[in-house]
Parts: sequence; C-alpha cells; structure tokens
Amino acid sequence: MKSIRSWFTHLLPMDPDKLSNEVYREKSYGYFKNTLFGIMVVISMIPMMITAGLGYFQYRNLLHAEEYDQLLWRLDGAQKTIEALVESLQSIVTFIAREDRYYALLNEKDLRILFDRLKEEYGDFVDLGVIDSAGLQRSYSGPYDLEGKNYSSQEWFKEAMTKTVYISNVYLGYRQIPHFVIAVRKRIPDTDDYWLLRATINADTLQKFIATIQTKATNDMFIINSDGQLQTASRTYGPTLSSYDKDLSPDGISIHKEGAKTTTLHASAALKNTPWTLILTEQDYVHKEEWTSFRQRLIFIFLGCSVTVILVITKLVGILTDRIRESEEKRHNLLAEAEHSNKLASIGRLAAGVAHEINNPLAIINQKSGLIGDFLEITPSFEYKEKIVKSLVVINDSVLRCKNITHRLLGFARRMDAVIEEIDLNRLINDVILFLENESLHNRIKIRTTLESGLSPIQSDRTQLQQIFLNIINNAIDAIVHDGVIEISSATLNDGVEIKVKDNGPGMTPEIVEHIFEPFFTTKELGKGTGLGLSITYGLINKLGGTISVDSAVGHGTVFTIHIPFTSTNIEENHHE
Amino acid sequence: MNKMQILIVDDEVEFASTLVERLALRGIEARSANRGEEAVALVKASAPDVVILDLKMPDLSGLEVLSRIKAIDSSIEVIMLTGHGSSAAGIDGMEQGAFDYLMKPVDLTALLGKIEQAYKKRTGERERQ
Repeated sequence: MKSIRSWFTHLLPMDPDKLSNEVYREKSYGYFKNTLFGIMVVISMIPMMITAGLGYFQYRNLLHAEEYDQLLWRLDGAQKTIEALVESLQSIVTFIAREDRYYALLNEKDLRILFDRLKEEYGDFVDLGVIDSAGLQRSYSGPYDLEGKNYSSQEWFKEAMTKTVYISNVYLGYRQIPHFVIAVRKRIPDTDDYWLLRATINADTLQKFIATIQTKATNDMFIINSDGQLQTASRTYGPTLSSYDKDLSPDGISIHKEGAKTTTLHASAALKNTPWTLILTEQDYVHKEEWTSFRQRLIFIFLGCSVTVILVITKLVGILTDRIRESEEKRHNLLAEAEHSNKLASIGRLAAGVAHEINNPLAIINQKSGLIGDFLEITPSFEYKEKIVKSLVVINDSVLRCKNITHRLLGFARRMDAVIEEIDLNRLINDVILFLENESLHNRIKIRTTLESGLSPIQSDRTQLQQIFLNIINNAIDAIVHDGVIEISSATLNDGVEIKVKDNGPGMTPEIVEHIFEPFFTTKELGKGTGLGLSITYGLINKLGGTISVDSAVGHGTVFTIHIPFTSTNIEENHHE
Repeated sequence: MNKMQILIVDDEVEFASTLVERLALRGIEARSANRGEEAVALVKASAPDVVILDLKMPDLSGLEVLSRIKAIDSSIEVIMLTGHGSSAAGIDGMEQGAFDYLMKPVDLTALLGKIEQAYKKRTGERERQ
C-alpha cells in the first residue's frame, strides 16, 4: 500500500525545488503523461480483450459442437438408407435362390426368364449366374459371355463359399467394369454339396444412390472397403477403386488436413453385412461463412473500440496533464512572486531599523555641533575660530546628507498618506520631463514621447507619481550616460493606464534584473547612487495598487512597464514602526 | 505671564542635555528627563508649559507618557519627536492630544518655531479659562 502511494507521488511532478528546472519539468510531465496513458489503456483494454476472447472461444465451441452433431446425424441417415438398399438387394437374391430351384436354374432358359422378370422389377441387377462348389459357372444370364467360367481361384468365390450370404468388394473382374457381387450359398438337394446364386450389380448403382443422398456441394460422401479402396467415386479422392489413405477413428469423427489451409472432418460408419465403410466428409467450420463473418465482425468491433478508447484517453490525458501543469506553474509563479515581495519587504524593514538606530546618534551630533556653533557665536574671535566655524558647516552638511539617506530609507517602508485626486498622466509625465530637461540636454539624451491623446484620467496621488517617474526617467538617463534616446509611451488598457519607459542604454543581464528592485542594489559607481531609487519606486507603485516590470537584454536597452489602476486606493501597511 | 518652562524627555542623555543647554542660551528655561517615570514625576512637580517627548524610551513608551501628562494637566502641550521616518506614530500621538510631531535629527530653528506655537496655544487657552 505504502509503496503504491509512494509510486503515485513519484509519478506526479511534485518536487517544487526542481520545478524551476525546465528540462526536469518537461521530462517529469512527459513521464507523468506516458505513465497515465499506459495505465488507462491497460485498465480499459484488458476487460475488452477478455470479453472479446470469451466471445470468440464460446462461439467457436458452440459451432464446433453443432457441427459434430449435424455431421453424425447426417451420417446416421445416410448409413441407414444405404443399409436398407443393400438389405433389399440381398433379400431379393436370397428369395430367388430357393434350394429346390437349383436344377431349374441350371436351365439357361428358366434362368433367363427369371432374370428378365428380375430386371423388370429391379433394374440394378446386371446379370445372374449359378456356380457350383467347384467354382464353375453352370448357367448364366446377362450381357456378358461368362458361361463356363471358372471362379474357383477368385477371392470372392472362396469367401462366398464360407457364408450363407456374401457381399463382395467392388472389383473389375473379367468384364473390367467396377461391380460387386451378392452371392447366396445354398445346399444342392440331397447332397452335402453347395451351390451359389450370384447376382452382379454395377458400382454405378451405389454411386447413383449416394448422389441422391448427398446434398451439399461442399460435402463428399463415398464408400470404402476394408483395404481403403474407394467403392464409389469421391470428389476429393478420385474415381471408384482409387485409394483412400486416411486413418479413421472407428465410428466417429476424425479431423484431417487437406493441403496447407483446409481442414476436413471425416465421419465414418461401418455398413452392416457388407465389407464397406461409409464416409462423410465436410469442411471444418472455420472455413464457413458463419464463422468467418463472425470473426470479421469481432475484429472490426474490437479495433473500432480500441481506436476510440485510445483517442479518448490520449485527449483526456492531454487535458489532465495540461491542467495539472497550468495550476502547478501558476502556484510556482505565485510562490516566487510572494517570495520576491516578501524579500523586498523584509529588506525594507531591516533598512528602516538601521536608519532608525542611526537617527539618534545623528541627532546628538546635530545638537552638539549646533551647541558648538551657539558658543562660537557668543565667543570673541580667536586664532582658529574661522576654521572651526567652517568645519561646523561641513559637519552640518554631512549630517544633512545622512538625514536624507535615512529618511529615504525609512520612506521605503513607511506608511504614506496618499492624496487621491484626478490626474492627467500625460501632463504629469511632461512636467517631469521638463524638470529633467537640463540634465538630459547636458548628457545629449533625447526624450521622445508617444503619449495617447485621449488617455483616460486616473484617480491617484500626484506627488508619488511624480516621484515614480522622476526616479525611472532619471534611472534611464543614468543608464545611457550620454548620447541616447529615451522613449516614453502611454496607453489606456482595460483596467488602468500603462506607461512604458524605454532606453537604448547598454541593457542588463538577467542576474542584475533579478535584484534591480532591492534596496542598496546599485550598478552605479560608489557614491553615485544609493541603490534606493528603484526600490522606493517599486514600493510607491505597489502602494498605489499598480505594478512595475522590467524587460532588458544586454545590448538591447531596457523597458520599464508601469501599470497604474484607474483608481488608486490608499493601501496602508498594517504594522506601525 | 510666567516665564515659559520646557521639559525635554529623551533617553539619549547627551541629546536631552545639549538641547537644554542650547535652549538656555536662547533664554528659554528647560529641564530634561531620561526616563518616562522621571518625566511624569517632573511634570507633577513643576508643571512645564511645553514637553518635548521622544516616542521611544526603555521603560514607558512615549504614547504612554503622553497620556499620563495629559491626565495630570490636559493644557500642557506636547511636541513628539520620532526617530523613524514613519509618521504613523506621530499621527497616533496627535490623535491622543499631542500638539505636533517632528522627525529626528531635528533642526533647532524648526523646533523653536513649534515651541513658540505650542506656548501661544497654551497661554491663549489659559487666558480664556
């Protein structure tokens, strides 16, 4: 649990110390985005895959079972029909071969009459013959000249002599036409000897019969004998007497590959009283319309859903990351800003404290030198009087200088009572420029203005605004030193007035810009500036409810942008110094 | 009309005594106190016309001394001295009845002017009474 939480914490780009590091931030948001994407995809895809998989296998099993059932059912039907046919042929022959008919049937004429009648009723018979136990065909009726033929060496004869009813394999025999034989063995009256009544039926008969049962074009139905020889023609394995080499499961269904792609089911059943096995083959379900269309639909739906899910997640993760990033950055900026103004405020307080402590000894120096002056006034002239008086003037001037510094310092932090009145800022700026004219002319600095003619008047404090612009323009003059241009522009915005003061001086490095509003920070020569001008300006603008920002680059000059609200409220600090 | 009496209250001994001396050179009678309690006791004993009062002292704050003085005699005028640039404390003092406030280091001429005004106000009030 704890490790999961720490992992989540690690996942979020939370480390505020490193937030300012651009590379780290990009990397950490990228990591967050990718991980979130991964988690969401996995969470949504897994159930989808499980559902699709279940559907796939369930439906496959269902089709499979149904197919087996159907195949066995059809095989059973076909088996019964063929068995019934064979049964009927067999019983006809048995009926004809009554024992007492032996001698009558030896008569060629009687045999012919019988055969003709038989053919009239059952067209399947080709010929009819009587064979004695020695294998000699004693009489024959049929289209071939087979009377007197000796069958004693033929396999079927040997086997027929051992059974009462015998059905042979399909074979070519003397006539070279595929046929099979039904032979019935009877005893010759009053002897121990046997005779056979042999009826021949063309294999075509079987073939035609199977054709009537067989329905579907994709099916194949045929009969084989125990040696695997086709007894009827097969669509797959060729004409009658071709060989069939598949291993069959006895009275069941076996699966066989036909070539590289096709699988076929082979259902087999032994036919009663015959040496034959009926085989019904069918293509596996995977090749059938029902299954292929199901699979296509499943894949289509699955891909469709996946694409939708991924698109939605991508969008969602993007929005989420942006939101987090936005709020993190906002928070970071606010923190940095608060830190900056806090820093300025505490430096200000420190400065005020120092100034206060200096003021008291300064007051003593002031009074003591005053007292000395008082005494000198009432003392008659003596040797060094004049020099002492001069020194006192210098002391007083120095005290005054110190006083100015401490009072400005204190001003940085002190509460000021703004006098709010309506002010035309353009006029105020022009006044300030007029005030600085001598200095700028002296340094050959041009001050150009592009002031908005209908600039909205504002409610603010005149003295403080004068101080602000005096400081900033003075600062620009000091930055340029000599020969340069200062451009001042004003514009009305939605929530106040914006003034830009641009100089073409040397510009500042980011390190300097960072500290520019801090008290005592100065780039001027020692003794030339106190480093208080801009920090006091910053404080003044803040107190009027405005903002100041600086944009500078080395070699490109500096732009100060000052924003003053339409109405300044007198913002007081809450603490009393 | 009695001679004007000034009390200077400041914990900086040198500052207070020097100021007393300079005022004396200008014919103004002044005394000094360096603690709040001492100042209150002196006010009780000698009833000065104008008190120059530093806002910051170790035992009692200037504002507290001010309210005690005003409790003893509300017609005594008090000029506050403040070491900070902040006018806030001075304004607070004026709200509590101080005559005016000045910032340190103070210019003697300015201080004399204020003392003059304060004294005029006090004597005017006295005459009305």
